Amino acid sequence: MPVSIEEKAAALGRVPLFAGLNADTMARLSDVAGEVTFPAEHYIVLQGQVGSGLYVIMRGGARVLSGSRELARLGPGDFFGELAVIDQEPRTASVQATEETVCLGLASWDLLRLLESDSTLALNLIRALTARLRSVTDQHRH
Amino acid sequence: MALSQLELVDMLSGLSLFADLSRPQLEQVAHKMTEESFPQGQRILRQGFTGTGFYVILEGEVAVRVDGEDRAHLAKGDFFGEMSVLLGEPPVADIVALRQLHVLHLGGPDLEDFLREHPPVMFRMLKTMALRLKNATRWRS
Repeated sequence: MPVSIEEKAAALGRVPLFAGLNADTMARLSDVAGEVTFPAEHYIVLQGQVGSGLYVIMRGGARVLSGSRELARLGPGDFFGELAVIDQEPRTASVQATEETVCLGLASWDLLRLLESDSTLALNLIRALTARLRSVTDQHRH
Repeated sequence: MALSQLELVDMLSGLSLFADLSRPQLEQVAHKMTEESFPQGQRILRQGFTGTGFYVILEGEVAVRVDGEDRAHLAKGDFFGEMSVLLGEPPVADIVALRQLHVLHLGGPDLEDFLREHPPVMFRMLKTMALRLKNATRWRS
């Protein structure tokens, strides 16, 4: 069952990364977001491969892997691949679907354009990176 | 040792964080931020305590120290303090001056507006943070 534009906008609106954006940016975001369905066990992104965008999980779930080590579990509303938006460098971890998983994919070039026109989105992304950096630092301490 | 406005703007133009700004924009930055100096050994941010703002290093070097262990050194052009300001949480690390330190300081509550007014600075900051995140992730694997 395909995801409607309204469903896309609602799902994107629940993602902290896209909180507080103006209606115009939200509409453009929903417009460029493409729905992708991955079967269970499928690698959505592969560590070492050059990334071209960010994914938001709409339904299903996934695990974040470094080599064979599980770093985190992700569910609806979680996103990954945000580093690829900023640099076009190899992925730092793999993400594998744990069940059939529906994602919204946002291409780096589309997001970059939106980042330039909406400072709230850029600030949100800085916050998201900061929060991740903090959790990495915290985990490293324990 | 305070710099003249002209010297300060010249210095800012050489820092990568501000590399995309025009001369008038650099003047605005110089006007908004305050110069501060710290002696060697001074702790500028304290792990677990309330953060006091965003700092850009003009001269000198600091250690990023977590639980007494040096994680990184930052030098001219590097910045710190943004994590606790943006997350509204206490600093995750001590920042300690390794030698006489000369910085530009912006109060925490002003950082968000400052970045909104200067999107190229925000974008440079994003890139630096992506790189830091990558390096941090690399330590763990």
